[in-house]
Amino acid sequence: MKLLSKYYRVNIVATIIVVLLSSTCYYFMIHYILIEQLDNALKVEEQEVTDFAKKNNNLPAPSSYKDQEVNFKPTFDKKPVRKFSTIDLYNREEKEHIPTRQLVFPLNVNGKSYDVFVQKSQEETEDLIQLILLITLVVVFLLLLAVFLINRFVLRRLWKPFNSTLSQLKDFNLSGKNKLKLQHSRIDEFNELNKAAIIMTEHVSQEYDTLRNFTENASHEMQTPLAIINSKLDLLIQGDNITEQQMDQLQGIYNALERLSRMNQSLLLLTKIENNQFNDMENILLNTVIMDKLFQFDELILNRKLVVHTDIQPVNISCNKQLLDILLSNLLNNAIRYNIECGDISIELKHNDLTISNTSALPALDNQKVFQRFYRHADNKQEGNGLGLSIVKQICNDFGYPIRYFFRDNRHEFLIEFQAAL
Amino acid sequence: MAWQPLSFNIASIFIPFFDKKSALKILIIEDEKALSDSITAYLKGEEYICETAADFKTALHKTELYDYDCIVLDITLPGGSGLDILKELKANNKMDGVLIISAKNSIEDKVAGLKIGADDYLPKPFHLSELSARIAAIIRRRNFSGSSIIKFNEIVLDTQSKITTVNGQGLELTKKEYELLLYFISNKRKVISKNAIAEHLWGDETDGNIDFIYTHIKNLRKKLHDAGKADYIRSVYGMGYKFAES
Repeated sequence: MKLLSKYYRVNIVATIIVVLLSSTCYYFMIHYILIEQLDNALKVEEQEVTDFAKKNNNLPAPSSYKDQEVNFKPTFDKKPVRKFSTIDLYNREEKEHIPTRQLVFPLNVNGKSYDVFVQKSQEETEDLIQLILLITLVVVFLLLLAVFLINRFVLRRLWKPFNSTLSQLKDFNLSGKNKLKLQHSRIDEFNELNKAAIIMTEHVSQEYDTLRNFTENASHEMQTPLAIINSKLDLLIQGDNITEQQMDQLQGIYNALERLSRMNQSLLLLTKIENNQFNDMENILLNTVIMDKLFQFDELILNRKLVVHTDIQPVNISCNKQLLDILLSNLLNNAIRYNIECGDISIELKHNDLTISNTSALPALDNQKVFQRFYRHADNKQEGNGLGLSIVKQICNDFGYPIRYFFRDNRHEFLIEFQAAL
Repeated sequence: MAWQPLSFNIASIFIPFFDKKSALKILIIEDEKALSDSITAYLKGEEYICETAADFKTALHKTELYDYDCIVLDITLPGGSGLDILKELKANNKMDGVLIISAKNSIEDKVAGLKIGADDYLPKPFHLSELSARIAAIIRRRNFSGSSIIKFNEIVLDTQSKITTVNGQGLELTKKEYELLLYFISNKRKVISKNAIAEHLWGDETDGNIDFIYTHIKNLRKKLHDAGKADYIRSVYGMGYKFAES
């Protein structure tokens, strides 16, 4: 649940409860006060009637004045009781029951006991209460609405810096160059949050840069010793007194050295792609590049007596030429290298989708690990450095081309979804 | 290239000196002594005189004082960048050929170097045979006599028209065979490893598979033998080849 909706919910429930309680109290209080006022008026009438009886030694005439009525009834052996009460009186004119406040009090005139009924219509009072209550409720409702609207818009604006920070953190990409651009807010807590986010991301970026630079520097530093070993070997084989057995060992060193050099170059390439050092894009006819690549690999393909099936349609993409070249080389190289003698390779390019599949002696590769660095299948006896597919993946990631691996009908298949150039 | 019309006159004056086959001067600017020693040792057998410079100051000093046929230039040097030496050479209108060797196999370095006026770029690590072939190519291109002819006894290669003749008779070679022959002659009387040959002919595409250079060598050997009766290509214990008179 969102903080805002949680807050709204609590806020509204609390407001409704408070408003209900307070309006109930309010109702009863106003009611009580108005009844009290009516009762006071009745008491004044009582006084007047009593005074009149004392003075004149007679009862005043029963009267009906405005909403006020005074009646008398003689009483017999009843213990006289003075009492306020609310009754419903039937009004003949208006043909309805009208709530009436009544005071009954005993009066002795000339030795006769009377019950005096002083009645006053409560209708006006009730009307007044209802009106007051209505106004109150309308005011409360308006107030609630105002609070709600203020909350809705002000709070949304107040939270804006937070949401902006959040969305930037979500988009934060270590390998990307973009730094967080957080707005300054008037709210201290958000500024604290922004500060913490900036410090954290800078720290992480620094660590990542260090790691990346380390890989790049390590690879660079290794090139020179590799060059020295290579040159010494080249000199060593010029000697006249080398036995055949020694030559064999030298060949072993050459091969290992070449593997090391290639691995080192692949690692360098990976860091370079990660560092986005290949920025220049151009429009490339993918179908021609693929045909050129096939021509380049012609000898390797013939050497293994492979059959190549192609179904290639013209596709124009925007890509870095060098990286595209490496991507295709790596995929084709794998398709040739891990193929069986007299096997086949099929290359399909349709609607921006490139599928390269090949027969192989290797069983299905682990889909989770196939693009991992240095992943090699246990049965793999070929000399590969285990970086070729990581490089392919990295290049695809760089340009946002989805790449997937399938194993169907005993064939290894790679599918890349290129994007057509605009 | 503004100097071309002038070069004809200069060439006609200097041709006699070149014809004497005066030794070519190479300056190796490289701070790793082990590497510059190897390069010197390998090139000495050819018709080269090698000098070395191990830091920026010495290199600048030598390039200012003397003219070289080719300068092998490392980019990262103690005391400065090799690219600055290159800039200095170009600013002084020096004609020395320049081959950059760099541990940073980066496109930026390569583009920057070639833009300033380097003739070629070779990333480390490299085979000495490759370096030697590249140096020879640079000197050939820079040669005032404009000669694009390479000779090895009766074999003559015209590197401009890419025509090969043996005893004056044209020899049909495939592209790979021609490249192979040129590579052999550039490294004549040297043992070249199969790895170096594979890398030269196919670059990265071989990816460790060096066995199929055999077919090309066999074909070239047969064609040369048929044309000139001489067998110059010798296998060295199955690990490399040597192009030399028997």
